[in-house]
Amino acid sequence: MKLLRAGLFAMPVLLLCAATASSHHSFSPVYDEKRLVTVVGVVTQFRFVNPHAMMFMDVTDDSGKVAKWTVEFAGRLNLSEVGWTADSVKAGERITVTGNPTHTGSPRIFFRRLVRADGTELLPAGPQRLKSIEEERRQRALQRNQQK
Amino acid sequence: MRDHALVISLALALMTCIPSSSEAQSSRPNLDGMWSDPPATVLGTFCADACTDAGIDRLNALLDNPANDARPFDDLQAEAKTREREYLRSSLTDSALKTYPLDPADDPGFLRCEPWGLARQMFARHQLEIHQRGNDRLELRYGEWDARRTVYMDAGKPSGIQPPSAMGHSVGRWEGDTLVIETSGIVANIAWWPTRHSDQLRVIERYSRASDGTLQLTATLADPLTLREPVVVKKIWRWAPEQKITAYKDCERPTEFKRGTRQP
Repeated sequence: MKLLRAGLFAMPVLLLCAATASSHHSFSPVYDEKRLVTVVGVVTQFRFVNPHAMMFMDVTDDSGKVAKWTVEFAGRLNLSEVGWTADSVKAGERITVTGNPTHTGSPRIFFRRLVRADGTELLPAGPQRLKSIEEERRQRALQRNQQK
Repeated sequence: MRDHALVISLALALMTCIPSSSEAQSSRPNLDGMWSDPPATVLGTFCADACTDAGIDRLNALLDNPANDARPFDDLQAEAKTREREYLRSSLTDSALKTYPLDPADDPGFLRCEPWGLARQMFARHQLEIHQRGNDRLELRYGEWDARRTVYMDAGKPSGIQPPSAMGHSVGRWEGDTLVIETSGIVANIAWWPTRHSDQLRVIERYSRASDGTLQLTATLADPLTLREPVVVKKIWRWAPEQKITAYKDCERPTEFKRGTRQP
């Protein structure tokens, strides 16, 4: 995926956690679950709180203009399940974050993936659960085929 | 091919197992402590909020069909959830159907940060902390909304009529290994399905430990004004002593949103 500095990258997606988020805290009235955007910027604040963790970042465009972006996460309860802490993201960090944009096009996204400057990434719970589920499916199919 | 369905069916049978009255009082499993989101299994994920037999049966059928092996789990889950919504929708009265499905943008929890009522709260994700307080009551605390409720066991049942409330008035008892909680006096609110329920709602919750160590709930909800017949909803938690419930004080009201985003 090409990451554009201070730009947007949109693509249709189907995400495991999109449906659950919408039924959880009314994700769908605010965010478009069928699109993703990616922004690159510097974190100004990360609030590890309930019901939703929030991150604020400065995103500079090619002309040097700085825009204030907001990144909304699942809640602290959800993130802590997969090892996140209040120090998972620090102010001053330069990051690339991907998420669902708002229906209105405001500078705000719902978190799906974060990549730090060193290439390490942070993910929500959904993708990590999916690995376990796919392994269970493989085992299930294997047993089914052996019984034939 | 049927064995997988059988395994899941047996596990779920534990959720509805009710020992005879002669067994009552003989053993009371200790449910005290912290429980949280279910294991990352097919069933745990499908029931992460809550689930119904209609949805589980459809999911099992899809998973047992080799033609679906290459399909993403999201697709199969979505198809099973569609079947689940059909079941729930068919249970609604004409009156309830007029506001079904509730537009998420009309959800008071979303619009005004109003905590949920019992018919939603008991299926909330994340932590459920159970504590016995003496012999006469249990306290249940939920991570979502940091909601709390008291369950009066038979001996501690308060006398007189209790005022209706969002969480209702709950009276509990043990039926063998199963904790049974009956709740009434719930003010009209929004149910998990999602649509509104009336103040006539009655809920029976049955909590038990399954053989895999998880805590399983089978809840029967009856409401003569919004349900044609009682609806049975299930949920699973895993034992999670490492978890803590943290304060819930940063709910922000939305400043921008769109209506009509939920599909019937």
